[in-house]
Amino acid sequence: MTSTASGAGIAVAPIDFTDRTLPNGLRVLLVEDHRVPSVAINVGYRVGGKDDPPGRSGFAHLFEHLMFKGTKNTRPETIDRLTEDIGGLNNAFTAEDITNYYEVVPSNYLETLLWAEADRLGSLAVTDEHFHTERDVVIGEYDQRILAEPYGMLDELVNREAFAAHPYRRGVIGDPENLRAATIDDVVAFHRTFYRPDNAVLVVAGDFDPVQVNAWIDHYFGRIPKPDVPIPRVTAVEPEQTAERTYTYRAANVPLPAVEYAYHIPPWRHPDAAALDVVETLLGMGRSSRLYQSLVYRLRVATTAYAHADLREHPGLFSLRAIAAADVPLERVREALDAEVARLHDELPGDDEMDRVRTQIAASFVRSRQTYNNIAIALVRSAIERDDPGALNGDLERYRAVTAADVQRVARRYLTLAGRTTIAYLPQ
Amino acid sequence: MSIVPLEKPPSPGPPHRADLPVPAERTLPNGMRVIAFSQRSGPKAYAVPLIAAQLIVRGGGSAESEAEAGLATLTATLLTQGTQSRSAVEIAQAVDGLGARLDASSGYDAMVVSVTALTHVFGQAFALFDEVVRRPAFPQAEVERVRAKAIGDLALSYSNPSALARFVAQRVAFGAAPYGHPLAGTAATLATLDRERVVAFHARYFRPDNATLIVGGDATTEELFALAEREFGSWRAPAEPLPGRAAVAAPSPRARVVIVDKPDAGRTAILAGRVGIARRAPSYTAGVVATAVLSGYSGRLNAEVRVKRGLSYGAGAQLIARREPGLFLASTLVDHTKVGEATGVVLDTLRGLAATAPEPHELVTRKATVSGSFSRSIETLDGVAGVLGELALYDVPLTELRDYLADVEAVDPAQVQQFAAATFGELFVVLAGDARVFAAGIAATHADVTTIPFAELDLGRADARAAD
Repeated sequence: MTSTASGAGIAVAPIDFTDRTLPNGLRVLLVEDHRVPSVAINVGYRVGGKDDPPGRSGFAHLFEHLMFKGTKNTRPETIDRLTEDIGGLNNAFTAEDITNYYEVVPSNYLETLLWAEADRLGSLAVTDEHFHTERDVVIGEYDQRILAEPYGMLDELVNREAFAAHPYRRGVIGDPENLRAATIDDVVAFHRTFYRPDNAVLVVAGDFDPVQVNAWIDHYFGRIPKPDVPIPRVTAVEPEQTAERTYTYRAANVPLPAVEYAYHIPPWRHPDAAALDVVETLLGMGRSSRLYQSLVYRLRVATTAYAHADLREHPGLFSLRAIAAADVPLERVREALDAEVARLHDELPGDDEMDRVRTQIAASFVRSRQTYNNIAIALVRSAIERDDPGALNGDLERYRAVTAADVQRVARRYLTLAGRTTIAYLPQ
Repeated sequence: MSIVPLEKPPSPGPPHRADLPVPAERTLPNGMRVIAFSQRSGPKAYAVPLIAAQLIVRGGGSAESEAEAGLATLTATLLTQGTQSRSAVEIAQAVDGLGARLDASSGYDAMVVSVTALTHVFGQAFALFDEVVRRPAFPQAEVERVRAKAIGDLALSYSNPSALARFVAQRVAFGAAPYGHPLAGTAATLATLDRERVVAFHARYFRPDNATLIVGGDATTEELFALAEREFGSWRAPAEPLPGRAAVAAPSPRARVVIVDKPDAGRTAILAGRVGIARRAPSYTAGVVATAVLSGYSGRLNAEVRVKRGLSYGAGAQLIARREPGLFLASTLVDHTKVGEATGVVLDTLRGLAATAPEPHELVTRKATVSGSFSRSIETLDGVAGVLGELALYDVPLTELRDYLADVEAVDPAQVQQFAAATFGELFVVLAGDARVFAAGIAATHADVTTIPFAELDLGRADARAAD
C-alpha cells in the first residue's frame, strides 16, 4: 500500500462472465456475484440514432420512450411500478449505436423483471393516444436539452458538420419536424425491424443462481421467435476529410463564446482506441490536466476546457471544447488550444505525467466497476459497440501499454488540421 | 372485452441474504475510534482494488451558535483548499496524481472528510487526507472565495419554494434549538464569519478523542488498523475538555400553519411535519417503514395527492433521524389554487395511518422499497462506509449493518400504526407560495395561522421573522 503512484501496480480481476446465444439469436451474458442481494438486468439492442429511418431523425430515441408504454399483457409504466415500488430503479438510454434498457432490483425479483423485459421485446402494444403523448414529451425534451440548455445545440452541430456522409451526422435527439411526421405505423415497423432476439444482448449481473436464471431466460426469452428477414445495417462510409472545415454559429442561450475542434478517429475496436483515451485523460481529466492548467488556471482565457474521445461502433470523433472567459476574444482561446495540440505533436509527455494519467484512467476504470449495473452496462456496450464483450477485460492492460510515443503518434495521426472541423459558437 | 388470456408478472421469491462485511473496531491511545472492514474478493463475490476512508468529527452545524450559522460547512469546505505545505491547486494536483477522491462536508451532527483511492496508492492518499484534517491553513483568499460563493448560492436556494419551506420548517420545529438554524447560514451570518472563527472552530472539534475513522476495502482489518495507527497515532488531543452541546429545548409541538408569502413563486410548497425521533430510538425502524408506506410513487401520499386527485406531480415523506430527535416531513408542490385541498389531503393521509394499522400485504412492497434502496446503497465502499459512519455517529451497534434488512422485515403493522399515532399529532404546516391565492381559504379552515411576507423572512432568527 505504499508503492509509488503508477498505473503499473494495479491488478484487477477480470469480469468473470458466461456467454451463450439462444437458438433465437439472443446473446446472454451472466455475471454471478453475491456481495449484495441485488441484481442488474440490461437489455441492449443494436440500434441507435444512426439507424433512424429516412425522414425520421430522432426516432430510435422516441422509440426508447415508447418501450415503457404498455404491451399486450401490461399497462403503460408497468416497468416503473415493478422496479420503483420495490426499491429498485430502471432507465434507458439511446446512443448513436445502441439502445439500452436496465433495471436494478432486489435479487428475489429477478424472475419478474426477466418476464417484463421479454414481454416488451415480444409483445409491445402502444396505443395511438400514448404514442402522441410521448412524442410530445420527447419534443419537450428536445426543447429543454437542446434549445433551453446553454450550448445544448453545439453537440448537434458538431455531428452535423463533421460527418458529410455517415448518418452519425443526424445525431441522436434528431429533429422535431421529423418526429412530428412519425406515426404509429412507424412504431410497429421499427419494433418489427430492430426489436428481435437476434439483435439484442441480455446481461444479468449480481446475486442469482445461474441454473435458475438460465431456466427463466430460456422460458421467457426463448419463446420469442427469430424473424427470417435480415436486419438492415448502416453501410455508409465517411470519406476521408482532406481540408479543415470551419463554421461560425450564433445562438440564443450562449452565455460566453465557445470553440470546438472535432477530429475524425477510428472505431472503438481499433488498436489506437486506448491511446486516444489516454490523450483524452492527459488533456482533460481533473484540475491537473493540461487544458485546465493552461487555458483555465495559468492563461485564464477559458472558464472550462475539455477533451473527449468519443469512440463508437463506426469511426467517431475526438473533441476539444473550450468556453471563453469573460471578455476574452475567442481567438486567444483558439491560440491556447492550438498550442496544446502542437505540444502533443512536438513533445513526448514525461514519465511523471504518463504515470499520473495511467493512474487516473485506471482509478476511474476500477471505481466504475463497483456496482452491478455499471458492470452490466460496460458489458452491453462492449458487446454491441466493439462486437466483443470480453474486450472489456483487456482494457486496463491496453491503457498500461500506451507509451509516450503512442500518445505522440496518435496525436500526429488523428489530431490534424486537415481532419478537423472547427465550430465557433457565439452569442447572438 | 378481451378474450386473449393475459400473462401476469411472476411473483418474487423469498428475499436473499448476503454476506455483508463484518466491521471491527478499536480505540487508539489518543482516543480516536477506528472502525475497519475488509471487502476482498471471495468465490463469486468480486471486490475492486480500492480502499475508502471517512473521518467523522462530532460537532457540525448543531455546534454553531446562532450568530455563527454556516461556520461548520465553511470550515469543512475549506479543509481541502490549502494546508500548511500545499495550496488549493497543489492539493487538487496531488489528488489527481493518485487517481484519488478527497471531499469534505458538514451535517448538523458532524463534519465528514472522505477519501478513496486504489489499494496500491492508498497510503499516499491517506497521508494527504491526514494533512487536510490536521494541518489545514485556511488561506485568507480561499476563505473569502468560498464565503462569497456560499452567499451567492443562498439566493438560488431561496428562489425554490420547496427549499424555502424546508428552511422555515426547521425554524418552526426547532426554534432556537440546535437544528433550527440553516446549515448553510444566512447572508448576514456568513458575512461575519472570518478566518479566525474558522481556525477556532477547527481547533475546537478536530481532535482525536472527538473523531471516528471508518476505513475499509481491499485489505485485511489488521492492515487497516495498522495504517490508521501509523497515520493518526501521533495526533494528540488538547488538554481542554471537549465542548458540550448547547441545551436549548425545541418548542412543544403545536398544530399551526406558517405561510411564507412569495408572490413570484411558480408553485406552492406544502410541508406538514413535526419533531420526530432520534436515530437511536427503538421505534426507528418502524418509523422508516411508516415513512415508506407514505412515500414513493405507489406510497399513500402520492396515491392520494397525484394518482387519485391530480393535485401535484408528486408527494412523499421523509424521516430525518439524528443524535437528537430530527424532523418528520410530508411534502408536495402544487398550483397555488390547490393549496387548501392538497393540505387537507396530506393531513388526512397522515392521520389515516395513525388511526388504522396498514394491511400486511401493503407492508410487503413498502418494506421492499426500503431494503432495495439499502442494498443498492451498500454496493460501493463509500456506501458501506457511509452506513457505518452513521451508526457510529449515533452510537448504534455496528451489527446493524448486517441486521438492518431483517429488522425492516420484522416490523409489523401495529408498530407502524404506533409510530404514526405517536408522530402525526400536533402537526405544523408550512406553505411557501403566492399567499394571495390561498391565504383566505387556509385561514377559514385552520385556527393558528401566521403569515410572513418573504421580504420579512429572516432565517437567522428563531421565529424566522425579521425584527421590526
